[in-house]
Amino acid sequence: MVEISIQNLTKHYATLVALDNISLKIDSGEVFGLLGPNGAGKSTLLKILVGILRPTSGTIRLGEYDIVADPEKAKKLIGYLPENPSLYTGLTTLEFLQFVGKIRGVQDDLLDHEISGSLKSFGLDEKRNSLVGSLSKGMKQKVALIATSLHSPEVLVLDEPLTALDPKTRVSVKDWIGGQTKRGVTTILSTHDLDVAQTHAGRIAIIDHGKIVAVGDVESLRRLANTASDARLEEVFLRLTEEKGEEPARH
Amino acid sequence: MRYWVKGRFTKGAILGLVIGEAFSVVFILFGSSTYLSFSNRVGLSTGLSEVALTILLALFLVGLIQSGFNGSGLPVSSSDVDYVFTSPVPPREVFAAKVLLNSLTTVLLGFPPIFVLYLRFSAYYHTSWSSAVLAGLVTLVFLVIGLLLSADITLSLGHGLGERKKLWRNIFIILVIAVSLLPITLLIPGIPVEVAEVTRVLPNGLAAAVSVGLVSGTSGGLAYLADLLLLFAWLGGVLVLGVRMSRGHFYDLLEVPAASGEKFDHPNQTSRLDPKGKSIWSIVRLKEKIMISRTREARAQFISAVFLSGFMIIYALSGSFQSSPTSFLFILFIIGSFGSGTASRWIEKERLWLLKSSPLSMRRYVKEVYRARVAPLLLYLAPVTVAVGVPLILGGLSQPSFLLGVILALPGALEIASITMAGGMFFASKYGQSSADDILSSQQQELADIRRFLFQTIINLVMVSPVLLLVFVSETLVTILGPGYLPTLAVGLLSVSILFTSLSINFLLNKAGDAVSRREDL
Repeated sequence: MVEISIQNLTKHYATLVALDNISLKIDSGEVFGLLGPNGAGKSTLLKILVGILRPTSGTIRLGEYDIVADPEKAKKLIGYLPENPSLYTGLTTLEFLQFVGKIRGVQDDLLDHEISGSLKSFGLDEKRNSLVGSLSKGMKQKVALIATSLHSPEVLVLDEPLTALDPKTRVSVKDWIGGQTKRGVTTILSTHDLDVAQTHAGRIAIIDHGKIVAVGDVESLRRLANTASDARLEEVFLRLTEEKGEEPARH
Repeated sequence: MRYWVKGRFTKGAILGLVIGEAFSVVFILFGSSTYLSFSNRVGLSTGLSEVALTILLALFLVGLIQSGFNGSGLPVSSSDVDYVFTSPVPPREVFAAKVLLNSLTTVLLGFPPIFVLYLRFSAYYHTSWSSAVLAGLVTLVFLVIGLLLSADITLSLGHGLGERKKLWRNIFIILVIAVSLLPITLLIPGIPVEVAEVTRVLPNGLAAAVSVGLVSGTSGGLAYLADLLLLFAWLGGVLVLGVRMSRGHFYDLLEVPAASGEKFDHPNQTSRLDPKGKSIWSIVRLKEKIMISRTREARAQFISAVFLSGFMIIYALSGSFQSSPTSFLFILFIIGSFGSGTASRWIEKERLWLLKSSPLSMRRYVKEVYRARVAPLLLYLAPVTVAVGVPLILGGLSQPSFLLGVILALPGALEIASITMAGGMFFASKYGQSSADDILSSQQQELADIRRFLFQTIINLVMVSPVLLLVFVSETLVTILGPGYLPTLAVGLLSVSILFTSLSINFLLNKAGDAVSRREDL
């Protein structure tokens, strides 16, 4: 399995400092939660981590590969689910998954088996020949999740996987995340759902205004926030982020 | 109404409007001059102009009827549904404001090119410019009738379009086309002239008769007055109908466009992307072909090619090519620039998060998408080029200097189309809106689109100018070297041209791949 090392990572969008000198180490097989208010820089961090955005400075290593210097090898290890995954609406569910499997390098003999199994487990078998554009939001999210894990990635990067889903789909997605973590996949989970973070993540980082405010398990975060030992994560989060304003930092 | 006007006429939209109008005026001038040259050469009367305009307006009418049946006769956005239709504004006022706004846009957009068209005709027929203005106004009345009819059809549909209504829609459309095309039967000897009068029951026939009559100076008399009155009766009729139907809430009858902007006739399809034994890149090409066929792009491309070939054949028959080599170069560019439009929105259909988080090379990916897209383009354009070229080659066998130009120009048109398509993909990669663009607002995107359009036009012109130059100098080269060198020159110049085209395409696609890699607005 793969360890992730982030060193002095900075990202600027013109004058806006989206990430400010972030350093993190995520152990192999660990489920790592990423919390923060809107606009804190969570999605930017994840996009740099998966090689979609280039950092202004700093390095990210996935195992032995640097995502900037060796993107093709590093990307083979990753499965990424963005916050709003837009899919090829003109393809059928099966075609979409076949296409994704192929570009992720899944062997032909494994691909059919993987797709059929995943469609069945998500209850989408009947939708295999439906155009992706005709599926409901929840179904699209399930298709995106299947696409994320088709190539059995060693690192999963999930950006708000539970946003705007109905309760039934949320349960399926939570089960899926649980299944992946049992497989020993190194997982980074960005979420606003504090219960999910508390349940699934071993350690949590709170990011605000492009900086890491706190890192640790729930107990150590409670201590950092000076809250009661049985305080809910929501209270800890609010305490740790309350002193900052709403505006992100600018040069 | 002010809310919609403010939303529609942004700075970017107005700038785009001015540039678009300028291009359409140039195109109208070019097209009408070609038509008049053809008409003069073949010795046609104003009757043909009336028939041509009837058919042209019929196509517009059919398009509006079709959009009416599709539920988009009253175009609405999702924000209209969220904010306007949930407000206490009476539906009838919403209807009136929507129709007025659409009419205003149509008048603003439509009047300059229509006026230029009639001005060109009035100059040809030696009538006053005021007749061109009046003819333009009559045609605008027709356009407003079309918009109202489209809105009426949408409001009359109820919930969705059932199979039975599809039958009625098709019958209706076929009837409009059949009645509008009836005058063509006059080409058959013995058919009574009165057949042409049948078109005057429809607004397109009435508008064409009155407008052409005005610009050709043949108007006057009771028949024209009756035509005008009938046209306004249509206007009154569709207006009253619309107002009556908009008395209740009607927003649930309208089709709000999906965020993706794509529509599919059949949600269930047979999966065609079997990856067994295929390489990654052949799967990328296959995916692209499937997407093109399912998103109606292929159909739109085919229809455009049919119109283009019709126009080109008329132009070739009119003899304009033989009379001026520069006009031939212009035609080359028209065929060629056909390529830039077809791929200009490819990036919107891509899912960059998926591609950029995969280990694919973006340069190679863009090249494979290009391969999948250029194949049907050349397939459609090749017959057009052959249709134009064969009579020119046969007619130019006795003039070697002329012949070399034709031999170079026929593949040259396809080369230009290929280069402009690559250019279109590059500029789409750099400026086009991606599938989940959360950085650019719609107004900023409009300005980016305009900047892209201007850059694309200039750069494409620069990129294809060597191919155009080769065609342009071919006649001089044959004259200097002598007809004996024709085969050598043809092979040599063609090779240079093809080599230049390949290098240009490769350059543009590499730039497109790099632009995709650098994009941060996913």
